[in-house]
Amino acid sequence: MAVTGQTEKLSDENLVELALDGDEDAYGALVQRYQRRLTAFLGQLVGDIELARELSQEAFIRAWSALARFDPRYRFSTWLFRIAHNLGIDHLRRRRLKTVGLYRTDSDGDEVEVVVAALDKDPLGHLENRALAEELHQVIDDLRPEYRELVLLRHFGGLSYQEIAEFKEMPLGTVKNKLFRAHSVLRKALAAFI
Amino acid sequence: MASECQAIQEALSEYRGEVVRLGAAERQHVDACPGCSEVAAAEKALGLIFRDALAPADPSVVAGVMSALRPVRIRRRVVAFVPVAASLLVAVVGALLIGGVPGSGVISLLPGWSTRGWSAVLGSISDWYGVTSTGVAAATAAMDPAFLAAAGVIGLIGLAGVVATARRWRKISPWRKNG
Repeated sequence: MAVTGQTEKLSDENLVELALDGDEDAYGALVQRYQRRLTAFLGQLVGDIELARELSQEAFIRAWSALARFDPRYRFSTWLFRIAHNLGIDHLRRRRLKTVGLYRTDSDGDEVEVVVAALDKDPLGHLENRALAEELHQVIDDLRPEYRELVLLRHFGGLSYQEIAEFKEMPLGTVKNKLFRAHSVLRKALAAFI
Repeated sequence: MASECQAIQEALSEYRGEVVRLGAAERQHVDACPGCSEVAAAEKALGLIFRDALAPADPSVVAGVMSALRPVRIRRRVVAFVPVAASLLVAVVGALLIGGVPGSGVISLLPGWSTRGWSAVLGSISDWYGVTSTGVAAATAAMDPAFLAAAGVIGLIGLAGVVATARRWRKISPWRKNG
């Protein structure tokens, strides 16, 4: 589907209006606008880039089916990411991911299982610097869940702080503070690459 | 950490280390403060790492979504057709109940073909008016006027609801544009 320059310039709200009027190209422009970030976000959430592609496709189709129920007082981006997030979480609950089990010794000397996504489906598999990819994967995995989700929304979903606040129904100040703390952890862990 | 440093470093986190997005006073602070300068540089580098970590766009996702929209549209159209089909069915059943099974002479009774048909339609309208006014008179005699007024208001609200729903439906009806 070719998206014209004019369509590209339209805001999400305008494109949603056009899509509600039955304009499939307008919806196509929204898909093009968000598919990369939505797939990257889902890839990190489910740990499998192939599955993330399927889920993001499904999220777009669900959003299209439910577009008439979309409340224009909210942003399309947060609505779409919520659909995708719910799909990802449902999937994780329903099905065990195909994973490779490894073992490592923790600080108490006990052997614990590390769950790592299969390499061919690694959402960071395209990164040329493998050491960085592995470190990034590990540090994101090790983040506290409340920080991890915000980091995924910010850096893989590409959402603004305001959009994240809307998505999480959290005060903007809290989002800023939590992301600052998460960044401190990331800066420290990735110091060798910075 | 000083509260000023904290606020500036939070902003640097948000702006991916882009000092130019800060205000003039904050920029001066970053220039003079080694801690904030270090955070600015580190945030910039972190931003680049995440930029590279984003997987390239996959055209197959867009193509897959667009090809899946048509069946969704057809399904929506079928679902939307259900009330119309149900109404038609009710109309046909009603016509059969009132007029019996249509025979070969039915067409000749329609208004377009005969004056007898037209007079039947006018007679029906007159009958309908008579029945309605008799009903209203009977209701007025039997019920409290306040009750009737309340019923009238509720009826108007219901009518407004029907109009609003119809307007919204017109907006989202799947056959409105592009098939």
